[in-house]
Amino acid sequence: MQFLKTPNFDFLGLGRICLAVSALLVVGSIGLVASGGLKYGVEFSSGTQLIVRFTQAPDIDKIRGAVEKVSPGATIQRFGAVENKQVLIRIGDHKEGEEDLSAGANAVLQSLATMYADNKVADSSTEIVGPTVGAELRRKAIQLTLFGLFFQLIYIAWRFKGPVWGSAATIAVFHDVIITLGLLAVFRYEITLNVIAALLTLVGYSVNDTIVLFDRVRENLRQRRKEPLPKLINDSVNQTLSRTLISNGTTFLTVLGLFLAGGPVLRGFGFAMVVGVLVGTYSTIYIASPIVVWWQSQASKGTGVGGSQIKAAL
Amino acid sequence: MPETLQNPYAQWFLATAVLAALSYMFVRRELRVRATAYGSFLAACIVAFWPPYARVVDGREIPGKVRLGLDLQGGIHIVMQVITDDALVAVVDDGVQTVREAASRKGITIEKVQRQDITSFVIEGVEAARIKDVQEELRTQFPTGWDISPPEPGGRIVLKLTDAEARDLRERTVEETRRTLDRRVNVLGVAEPLIAIHGDKHDQILIQLPGVKDIGAARRMMQRTAQLALKLVEDSNSTKEALLAGRGGKEPAGFEVVQGSGDEPGRPVFYLVHREAIVTGRDLKNARAGVDENNQPDIEFTLTPAGGDKFGRATGANVGKRLAIILDDLVESAPVINSKITDRGTITGRFSQQEAEELAKVLRAGALPASLKPLQEISVGASLGQDSIKAGVWATGVAMTLLGLFLLAYYKLSGLNAIVALTANLIILLGAMAAYEATLTLPGIAGIILTVGVGVDTNVLVFERIREEIRNGKPVRNAINNGFERVWITILDTHATALIAAAFLFQFGTGPIKGFAVTLVWGLIANVFASYFVSKFLFEWVLGKRQVATLSI
Repeated sequence: MQFLKTPNFDFLGLGRICLAVSALLVVGSIGLVASGGLKYGVEFSSGTQLIVRFTQAPDIDKIRGAVEKVSPGATIQRFGAVENKQVLIRIGDHKEGEEDLSAGANAVLQSLATMYADNKVADSSTEIVGPTVGAELRRKAIQLTLFGLFFQLIYIAWRFKGPVWGSAATIAVFHDVIITLGLLAVFRYEITLNVIAALLTLVGYSVNDTIVLFDRVRENLRQRRKEPLPKLINDSVNQTLSRTLISNGTTFLTVLGLFLAGGPVLRGFGFAMVVGVLVGTYSTIYIASPIVVWWQSQASKGTGVGGSQIKAAL
Repeated sequence: MPETLQNPYAQWFLATAVLAALSYMFVRRELRVRATAYGSFLAACIVAFWPPYARVVDGREIPGKVRLGLDLQGGIHIVMQVITDDALVAVVDDGVQTVREAASRKGITIEKVQRQDITSFVIEGVEAARIKDVQEELRTQFPTGWDISPPEPGGRIVLKLTDAEARDLRERTVEETRRTLDRRVNVLGVAEPLIAIHGDKHDQILIQLPGVKDIGAARRMMQRTAQLALKLVEDSNSTKEALLAGRGGKEPAGFEVVQGSGDEPGRPVFYLVHREAIVTGRDLKNARAGVDENNQPDIEFTLTPAGGDKFGRATGANVGKRLAIILDDLVESAPVINSKITDRGTITGRFSQQEAEELAKVLRAGALPASLKPLQEISVGASLGQDSIKAGVWATGVAMTLLGLFLLAYYKLSGLNAIVALTANLIILLGAMAAYEATLTLPGIAGIILTVGVGVDTNVLVFERIREEIRNGKPVRNAINNGFERVWITILDTHATALIAAAFLFQFGTGPIKGFAVTLVWGLIANVFASYFVSKFLFEWVLGKRQVATLSI
């Protein structure tokens, strides 16, 4: 079986339109994130989160009644599939200097036991985060993501002997991460530690995809030095298209499985990965490649030696 | 199964021997060494992680070899800050006390000795004639670790802990806290606990107790400072002012005021006690919960021989006086000494049975050198962890089955090769995690699924390249060789960048994310071996020496 025999599409011809669409999406995402559109999980924002499993199907209104008594303004929602009988309860932030972190969680559980006595709590998990930890973790997450990107850039620059490729790959990755964040905001997913893990993974994944293409371009550059770079890159995209479709298609299916069947804890992780795989595949062809072409045309304008700089670097 | 076969090394050796024999029979000469080596490595991995899950044999639970994270098996995770300032304050207070005692011993009049801030104290109003003596005495009493200022007008001298000493003291305090908590957890009897120094400034302690349910009880036991001191009572009264009224309104030298703990509401009791303790928690040999003559829970303790000597002498000399039993700066009780007591005693107070038991355990494990402030507390119910395992295993199973079917349909027999390679990848991943005692978390399961994705990617890269070579008219064997050779550099690059990302994830400390990074790192390494070398070997082995015309790909 084979889906594509010898594909020969004009990918870069669509470059301008795609760049415009991407620019729009990136600007929109930055706007959303900057205007506080992201919801942070309890580990990043401090506060208390309980996941409670009841013995029978829980009645959200009754639970709200019991929880509001001790902790007004709590968020209460079903957690996972209905047959799991689980409910997520999120209560307010902690004040600095508060000695007993778990007081709020205990009060909620006690209130549930008395006010909603006909449906007992079978098991519960709590996550209680003081304000200092949340802030520290947020800083660390941003730091590590940026450092991770930076070192990948250095690696690519070293492997491809020039800043063009590393920069192109990095800009593509930024594009992916920003759009994924934007979509997380649109669909109201919480930024949890798991989602950060997904973001860092999709950084690796997107770079991976870009490298496969660049490696092919490099190989072609060695054999066909005379041809113009845009055509060469377009051919390389076509040559690797089969691999891109199969490989990213299968990865897409696995993360889709994770998103749909991985349970409520992994839902956000799965969502970020699903978006990441799609955007990462797209950005390799429509962000990373045009940047290399554009860089080369700028360089040839300045020195008049065509793509020889890039070629010479290989 | 005979006893020797239960030894993992014996199992591995046997498996290798069988594999060597099989390769001698079924594999042609030039591939035999590789066949045996690869097979033996995989056998070692299987032996390392089998059985992966806990099971019950003869009524005893045998733990599985793959360690599960808190998010999967349930338990609690607490991060607490060690208030190292406490330890500094204690040292400075000791210094103040030393100076006061030395002054009264030598008959030097000093107006005031007082702690200034957490690292310094000030001596004021030293009589001018004896300032030299004081300086001399300070030098002998505080030979190292202190900056002693030259005398200022008004007979003022400031003693300050040096920065190095303060830093050292903080480090020692955190380390001692960790050790004490370690002992307390041992008393709790938790399997595979983790107690580690944590945080960027190394002033936090991370405690992970798998399988523990009651986060409240565990936190109380961890957080309680548990400083025990037995001191002679001079006087007691219902207010501090009344207590000090006949004594010039302030604590006399060598005495201090301590509040009672089990007071009835609205009727506090204050005790004036000797500053110096007869015995402290350090003199305890053992402590356990019991009941007193009124059937009230209490704590019975025994003292070490040295502690017993001190206690015997002091109680013998003070029969009829009261003895304050002070726990964390509160007087639990103050019984009258009826006769000389040597090596045992009881602490009575208003304890519940559970409190008495917790306290006894904490006293056995020793006191904390500083107080702890909780920063983060996570507890996971065991059954909720089970749900996560089910969801994770289900998602992995679905993903693997779909991928396997797809690979078979799209690449036919070569797809089977890929499935063997993916299986080998998972075996190595689990083996490495078991061997290095890495923890599998829920995001870790997601990491395994992603590893499978990366494995498929490697196979697809190779297969597509082989197809391309065949399309270009290359003979099958050359196509395979070229295919593997050409993608090698790509595989190297993609894995290296992914490893860089994983390395940064690893920095997230000990939580579930670290589990994710661990599976990703091992998965990537295992994948290079499985999807490249094992897969290549399989092609060579199956195709044999003959020149084949077509390839099932």
